[in-house]
This record gives sequence, structure tokens and C-alpha cells, in this order.
Amino acid sequence: MTANRMPTPVAEREQELAGWTPAGIRLTWFWDVPEFRRALGLLLVLALSAYLLLPLLTLLLWAFADEWRYPSVIPQHFSLKWWDWVFTNGDVGSAARYSFETAPVVTLISAAICLPAAYSFSRFRFPGRRALFISLLAANAFPKIGLYVAIATLFFRLDLMGTFWGVVLIQLVGTLVLMVWIPAAGFDAVARELEEAARDAGAGPLRVFWSITLPLAMPAIIVACFLAFLAAFDEAQGTLIVGSPTIVTMPVLMYTLVVNYPEPVGAIFSILLSAPSIVLLLLARRFLLAGYLAAGFKGR
Amino acid sequence: MARVREAALGLALVAPPIAILLLLIILPAIQALTFSLGLVPSENVTFSSGQHLVRSDIPTLEVYRQLLASPFVIDDLRLTLSVTVLSVIFVAIVGYILALYVRFGNGWLPRIVRSLYLIPMFVPVVIASYAAVTFYVDRGFLASLFWHLGLGYTSPAYKPAGIVITQVWYNIPFAVLMLGSGLDGIEQELIDSAHDVGAGFFSVLWRIILPLNLVPLLIVLTFTFIGVIGSFTIPFLIGPNAPQMIGVAIQAYFSNYNQPQPAVAMAVIVFAIAALAGVLYVWATSRSNRHAVTL
Repeated sequence: MTANRMPTPVAEREQELAGWTPAGIRLTWFWDVPEFRRALGLLLVLALSAYLLLPLLTLLLWAFADEWRYPSVIPQHFSLKWWDWVFTNGDVGSAARYSFETAPVVTLISAAICLPAAYSFSRFRFPGRRALFISLLAANAFPKIGLYVAIATLFFRLDLMGTFWGVVLIQLVGTLVLMVWIPAAGFDAVARELEEAARDAGAGPLRVFWSITLPLAMPAIIVACFLAFLAAFDEAQGTLIVGSPTIVTMPVLMYTLVVNYPEPVGAIFSILLSAPSIVLLLLARRFLLAGYLAAGFKGR
Repeated sequence: MARVREAALGLALVAPPIAILLLLIILPAIQALTFSLGLVPSENVTFSSGQHLVRSDIPTLEVYRQLLASPFVIDDLRLTLSVTVLSVIFVAIVGYILALYVRFGNGWLPRIVRSLYLIPMFVPVVIASYAAVTFYVDRGFLASLFWHLGLGYTSPAYKPAGIVITQVWYNIPFAVLMLGSGLDGIEQELIDSAHDVGAGFFSVLWRIILPLNLVPLLIVLTFTFIGVIGSFTIPFLIGPNAPQMIGVAIQAYFSNYNQPQPAVAMAVIVFAIAALAGVLYVWATSRSNRHAVTL
């Protein structure tokens, strides 16, 4: 890192590559000055904070604004009257109810059918294993909107249009990749020695699974459940086509609110809609950073 | 015998999610493909009552020919590809800088960044787009801030730039998590020994970190590409009216123009391009996993 090391032949060649100017000043000279490096870090953090947070702050301010005209950086008048409107609006209440009914049910069903599959992909050899594993990606690669008419036809035939279970099924599709790939990597990471040791000590296969494999894979499963919940909670396009007009979830209602109502309504609704996600962020942060998500997408 | 039983059990366990995939994605996709080739299913009223239908008894590329002959569609495709490529490039650059900063930085600032970059992952995409519009729009919050600083402001909202800005915002968490986990896998001794022979930060980056972290980078590139190219919500809320991204155009052809056939044909085109990116992913991961210890 420091500039005062002995220059070696390797270092000289590297410096050439790192871009010496003809005047003999390295283009990356600023990196060797700790103060510059620290200032650069601070600038990066400030720019990133502004980029990531200011749009959200805008919504937060709008949620409590009655009037906010250019070029004031804060609203001219604050008011809670739109909160009253939102909370007394029947559509909002029923949308919240549907969202909080569908997303958990989708997550549970997804876990029930995908976790055994994830275990199978991780442990068993069978024909087409790799192809089937990768084919799950198709659920995310085909533009959903291009499929919804064909899906709607199918759902009409099965009498699922406008029903709770129709919405659950359409939201389930988007969770498959997450719920198979991430837990499969979690099962991969469980050391076989531990399982074998338990088996040597006389534990049966089910006992080994419940007391060794599953607990050790649990963080990956938790990450998958969080992300599946968010994917289901966030789904709007399919839910709109399959669910409406009976089942309108919060993201679907959001499209209408954004277009037809003044800013505070959309802003308040955004806060309500983000609240559960933020709680999940606080809960899942540790597991996300531990690399379980990344492991799931590393392929096999 | 044991092998057969293992294979049967394995297949039985993966059957349920594969069945859902088959029923809700693969079969509808095949139906979309054949419909776009002129084979109109008579029992599907939405399809057979569409405007501008090309009907044929044998597969024909007529729908695609008409689509690609339309200057509007070409403009839409061009916009879609350029927005996608730009978004992917910016996600990779910003994601890499953040991942490096989080991995190699010391002190409290990188700790803050470690929480900060995750935020977009937990904001529903509708809200992310709506927040971006209210923030970047003409005479919006950012315009007000610029006014107080005495700067002129040109809004990126309802322009391609607005889509790219919001896409990058939305895709940062996945990119940093992916790249960061790759960086964690690079042994510190390797970097230390490079420093000992006098390599500076940038040559370590160029000669050691980038080559060793190539697969996570390819994964970020492909998944961002697939996510952006077929996206609907972000371009719908913050993108221009014309030309528009293909995801928005598909929706318009379906519901506004009642032309399902060109709509599904566009979906097939997007899928074909996304599948190319998918091939890159499969190639990259299978190559690297062959070298790794197989489980």
C-alpha cells in the first residue's frame, strides 16, 4: 500500500501498467496519500447515501405534506389529513388484508414444495439433475407479461381467476428459484463428516436430517423465506391479471393510487407497504451478509 | 438397485416445483411461441379475437417480419438494449466499488455502507419507481435542492436516463452481495504477498482480484441483464412514452391495442435475448464449478 517500499522489477512493470504519465507521475498517486483516500471514502459514502436515501426521504416528506411547491426543500404545510383518508379508505384496508394473507401462504407453500427439492438437488444423483436445476431460471427469464394471457386462459379453465388460490399460484412462480437455489447451496455447505459421525453414533437418516442437516442449513432457508416473502408481497403484474377485480393486493392498488391521487396518498401508502420489508431487513441483515444468497446463485 | 432408488426419490422430490414451472411458465411459453408463429388457437378467445392477426396452418415468421419492419418497434428494441446495457455496466461499476470498499475499508464508514446498500432490496419495486419519480421529476425535490445551490436542473424523469438511474438503484444490493461474497473468498495471504513484492492497490486489483472474482461478476452481469431487459414497473413509471422499453410495449399491445400476437412475439424476442445471457451464466458457473470440489 505504501509508496516507500523498495521498487522491485515486478513493481516497476506494475507501475507501468498502472499508468505512469510521461512526466513520471502515476495517475493513481492520490491513492498513496491516506488523507485523500479517507476523503474519497467519505465522498463515496455521502454520494451513496444521497443516491439511495433521498428518493425515499422525498416520499417520507410527502407523506406528511399538505402543500409542497417548488423550490422549497421542505413542504410549505404539514398535515396528517391524508393519513385519515388512507386509513378510512376501505380499499386500502382490504388490500392490506389480501397482501398479508397471500404472501405468508405463498412463502409456506413454496417452502413446503421447494425445500425437499432443494435437498434432492443437493444430495441425490438423478438424470437431468443439472438441467432441471437451471431450468428454474426460466421462471425469471421469460417476460411475465408475455405469458399472462396464456396463464389467464388456463386459470379460466381451472376456475382460478379472481380467486385467492389463483393469486397464490401466480405469486408462487416467482419464488421457485429463490426457494430452491439458496437452500440447495445451504444443504451443500453442511459438512458430510458431521452427518456421517451422527450416523456412526447410531442415528437414523431422519434423525440425522432433523438434528444435523436442517439446523445447519437453516440460515440459508431463512434467507430464502425472507426473499420469497418479499417476492410474493411485491408481485403486481400477475396478481393484477389473475386477482382483479376481487383480489387487489397492496402493490396492485399502488398503481391506481399513484396515477389517480395526489402525492401524499401514494407516499403514505408507500410507507405502509415498505414497513414489513424494513422489519425483514433488520431481521435478515445478518444472514444476507453471511453470503447465503450469493452461494445460491453460484450455480453447480 | 440403490442407484435407481436414489434417482427415483430424487426425481420425485424435485417434481412439484418443476410441475409448477412446467404448467405456469414452460407450457404458456410454448403456446406464446406457436401463437407468434401464426398458429392461432381457436379455443383461446383473447388470442383469436386480437387485431392484426396473422393466421397460418404452418409456422411462419410473418409476425416477426412485420414487427421488425416497424420503425417504432425498432426504436423500442434499440432503447431496451441500450438501457439494459448501460444499467448493467453501471451496476457492475458501482457494485464493484462498493464491494471493494466494504471488503477492504476499515472503520465505521464501511460499516455504515454495509447496511446502507441493502436498503433497495427491501423496497418494493413499485415504491422504488414512485420514489424516484417524485425525487427526480421537474420541480421536484432534487430540482429544489439544485435551485438552492444555484445550479440548473435537467430532470432525468420520463427519459431513458431515469430508467437507468432507477434500475441501478434497485439492482445494487444483489450486485454487492454477490461480488462481496466473491471477494471474501480471496485469501488475504495472496493479497499480502502481492503487496510484499511491491504491487500497489490498483495492480493487485487488476492482476489478482478481478481475475479471481470473474465468475461472481459474470453472474451479476447476467442476472442484471435478464432482470432489466424484461422489466415493466420501472420503465412504466419513470420511462418515456415513446420510444418505450419492450416490457411496457408488450403491455400496451396487449391491453391498449388489443394486438396479443405482436405482444407475445416481442416477449419471445426478449426471452431469446435473455436466454443468451442465461447461456453465459451456465457456461461461466459450470466452468468454475468443475474446478471446484464437486459435492
